[in-house]
Amino acid sequence: MDGTSDRLRKGKNMADLTDAQRDVLVALVVRGMARGEASADHQVLAEQGLVLIKGPIIMPTPDGTALAGEQLRMAHDAAERERLMATFHRFLPVNRQLRDLCTAWQVRPDGTPNDHSDDSYDADVRDRLDDIDDAVGPLIKRFGEDLPRLGVYRPRLTTALEKLDEGDNAWFASPLIDSYHTVWMHLHQELLLTIGMTRKEDEELEERLVAGEGA
Amino acid sequence: MTERTFPVDDVGLVPFGMGLERGLDERSLCTRGIELETLAGLGLPVGAGLTVPVPNVPGFTSPDRAKAAIRLLESMSGRTVGTMTEAGGVVLLRLSASAPVEAAGLPADLVCVGLRGAQIPEGVPGRMAADIAQAFWATASTIAEHSLDVPGDDVATLELDFANPADRIAPLVAMCDQKGTGPFPLKASQQVAAGAAAMLARWNSPRAARARRKQNLAPDLPIALHLETVVVTDHDDEGHGHAYSRDLETGQFAPNGAFRHGVRQSGERHAIGHPLSKLPEGVEMLTGVLAELEGRLRTPVIVDFEYGPHGLALVGLEQMRRASARVSTALSVDLVTRGISDEIHAVAATRPEDILEMLHPQPKLTGTEVTLVTGLGVSPGAAVGAVALTSEEAVSLAENGDSVILVMSETTPGDLPGMMAARGILTVNGGSASHAAVVARGMGRPAICGASGLRMVDGALVCGDVTVPAGETISIDGSSGVAYVGAVRIEAPKPSPSLTTLLGWADDVRRLGVRANADNGPDADVAMNNGAEGIGLCRTEHQFLGDRLPLVRRVILSHDADAEESALAALADAQREDFRELLLAVGDKPVTVRLLDAPMHEFLPSSADGAENEHQARMLDQLHEENPMLGVRGVRLALMHEGLYPAQVHGLFNAWVDVVTQEGIHPELEVMIPLVSIPDELVMTLRLIRRVNQEVATKTGVQIPFKIGTMIETPRAALLADKLAQWAEFLSFGTNDLTQLTYGFSRDDVERRMLGTYLEKGLLTASPFAELDESGVAALMAIAADRAREVRPDIKIGICGEHGGDPSSIAICETLGLDYVSCSPSRIPVARLAAAHSAMAAARA
Repeated sequence: MDGTSDRLRKGKNMADLTDAQRDVLVALVVRGMARGEASADHQVLAEQGLVLIKGPIIMPTPDGTALAGEQLRMAHDAAERERLMATFHRFLPVNRQLRDLCTAWQVRPDGTPNDHSDDSYDADVRDRLDDIDDAVGPLIKRFGEDLPRLGVYRPRLTTALEKLDEGDNAWFASPLIDSYHTVWMHLHQELLLTIGMTRKEDEELEERLVAGEGA
Repeated sequence: MTERTFPVDDVGLVPFGMGLERGLDERSLCTRGIELETLAGLGLPVGAGLTVPVPNVPGFTSPDRAKAAIRLLESMSGRTVGTMTEAGGVVLLRLSASAPVEAAGLPADLVCVGLRGAQIPEGVPGRMAADIAQAFWATASTIAEHSLDVPGDDVATLELDFANPADRIAPLVAMCDQKGTGPFPLKASQQVAAGAAAMLARWNSPRAARARRKQNLAPDLPIALHLETVVVTDHDDEGHGHAYSRDLETGQFAPNGAFRHGVRQSGERHAIGHPLSKLPEGVEMLTGVLAELEGRLRTPVIVDFEYGPHGLALVGLEQMRRASARVSTALSVDLVTRGISDEIHAVAATRPEDILEMLHPQPKLTGTEVTLVTGLGVSPGAAVGAVALTSEEAVSLAENGDSVILVMSETTPGDLPGMMAARGILTVNGGSASHAAVVARGMGRPAICGASGLRMVDGALVCGDVTVPAGETISIDGSSGVAYVGAVRIEAPKPSPSLTTLLGWADDVRRLGVRANADNGPDADVAMNNGAEGIGLCRTEHQFLGDRLPLVRRVILSHDADAEESALAALADAQREDFRELLLAVGDKPVTVRLLDAPMHEFLPSSADGAENEHQARMLDQLHEENPMLGVRGVRLALMHEGLYPAQVHGLFNAWVDVVTQEGIHPELEVMIPLVSIPDELVMTLRLIRRVNQEVATKTGVQIPFKIGTMIETPRAALLADKLAQWAEFLSFGTNDLTQLTYGFSRDDVERRMLGTYLEKGLLTASPFAELDESGVAALMAIAADRAREVRPDIKIGICGEHGGDPSSIAICETLGLDYVSCSPSRIPVARLAAAHSAMAAARA
């Protein structure tokens, strides 16, 4: 491994973690939490103080989050970084559209909750999700050319769309399942961890890009 | 011949505003054609444009037909497509589609068609050229993908490779040559024809088919096309926007919306832009237009407009058929005020269920609250809880059973555990589409975002000179966006002025009385503010809880008559205060006090460990009930402990004397006995109550008039209503119990385990606890009402179960000829309106 591992050993004892356990930790940090029974890997991570198991909820500790961040973070001088950042700049305006559309899915323009009784309204929002999905497809493809692990988000988004079209509205934006919004947020989170950008920096950049000011 | 003498050719092109007079309707002109007919028909300014009616759309993919359309438009507008005007504008076209009915999933507008040679004319200044390039890219890429079958991914690659739209056009034209089914169209007529073909292909795509399916629209629903002249001028001299006739927040007529400079880049509305008040044209004309349209169409409306050196033109109209109750109520009242509609229509036009959304609980402000911070209300509802500054803190506080408000700069997926644990969410950054907002709404949690005045310093919230340490209580209002220090009382708001007016009209129409179920002064206050005509049910159970619980236990578990008597006396005194508060809120209106009806186990310790002494522990064992809801409760408990009801009415009668002598009000007392199934239960109880009435009258020297009545909660009581009516002056259906006992349902059990399946299988169409069962429970009610009236024709009959606030159940009460319904204070407005609707339906029948 590169220098990252050395740094990790200094912070927390990573030497004992297998690749699979590291992947589990990273996935947990990207997702924020997991629900259900803790796996053997979760138990090991919990023993190391990287993960907290509270009843049916498994979540990373601040140490675990920091460690996963270091694991994912791309070096500043990495060759792919420039391309990744360029694509990320195209991603953010689409990201804004997605969040606006999720808002439209949850709240009608007059501020009342969308109770999904208006087929025409829902069909319109669903139709616009295709525009966003069409826009993000080439972006994920390009992300995946440099970081193949990001390619997995394409089929995950497609799965959410398929479930949505089977008739379960929760697959649009429910935070409790791998809905379109949830998967999208995971992608966004993994991108931020990879770039090493904070949420605040990200929001400011998005604001500038949406306003057409460039970065 | 018409006054306007545009050439009418055999291609069947219909200039905006000339379709109806040619005998065409929405089947061929489609929704957008009709919108423009409406606008033009009212003499309002619409842009130069024409509709290609449904039957002529397939042929419109031929450049010859498109050329004819362009010629017609040019003769209408006096401008040649593709050229520059004297003022330096470029004349272009816009192509859009609509269907015979409102439909989502239509092809997006092609906002820039007719750019000759696919090149921006020489001499167009930079900003304007950039506007045109951006609009043309959206159009050209659609034509390439859907008309010339260039793979969408290849088109998307151009978008990624060239940040500037102007740089993408030449490569796109080249790409069409290589990968398309033909070259990119360079003449205006070719572009229009190719645009029409692209729109048809898009409308026939699986994506559009899915949209039609989701809306239950015909799979072969056709479209009409609409072609309009667009003059692109200098970025700052022109613009486009939309205007709502009403403020969506308050419902009042208040034209509002947004506009942007430059050429329209898509058919969608942008919420963000300059406010209408900044319009160079002023807002007066739009205000007149919106008022005219509302009066004509009787719906709130949204118009789309464009303006430029040529003035203002309307390009779209939407009737808000599903406006919120706040908006539609205000409109209904305004139309009556303007003399366009009448009161009956206004009442009929408002659905009772819909006004509930206007009565969502919100903080009840006294004016003494300390505001912590104001942000954007992004997820409605109110919440009170302890401040947690991290997700982990929220989780552990909630584990201890505390109500928590999660406060963070912004949230990420990592904060999901805390957001789930919290009752409400407050963030410093982000807007209504932020992660926090989307997730909070997804979980139904109230939330405020963008509270930018807030800082987190050393484990405390700081805003100005207010500091709240973590762990202290705050309250948030996810509707108004205001957070308060400390706990704020949360309750339903008062009806808005429009709703108050409308409910007044409803009161003139309805026959059924509307009363409230209210147990204490504050609830009764809310009920009276909402227009209740009295209290139909005051439950006295809560008067026995809290610090009075030991007294009740002593009554039930006592073996010592003296101890029981002193406990009862203490109870009577305590209740006198409770009743006083209630009677003060009621004033001179009727108030029905139901004597104690809780199942015994609610007063007793859950195990012998909670007993005060050995005797109590032994009694507890003996008193254990297998099924407390069917056990010793209501009148049964009162007849086992004969001091109970006398103690209650002693408190009640004395309270009445207090308010009559001290406050000068005269509430109409009604005493109601619960769970009667044997008429003599009522007779014996009545005797006890009369004795106390006499005692208090003798002692105070004040006669205390009261009526006696009974609940009808058991099928036996319903069947014996004639016997009961010999003694009872009023009857009140307790339909929660009556439903349980008629079906033999144990409510908690069937709701938890069975109801879902029964609804799914179609065995029930609604929960009988939410909507009164017309064929069973209501049939029993009909028998009871008929039999009771035979004995006592003027007997007053009401309903006080939860059904009393449900519109469909209220309709049944109307047909049964009941005198009143009683429901929770917050549902009083719903019941008033539903009762009016029921009366109108009965008059029609």
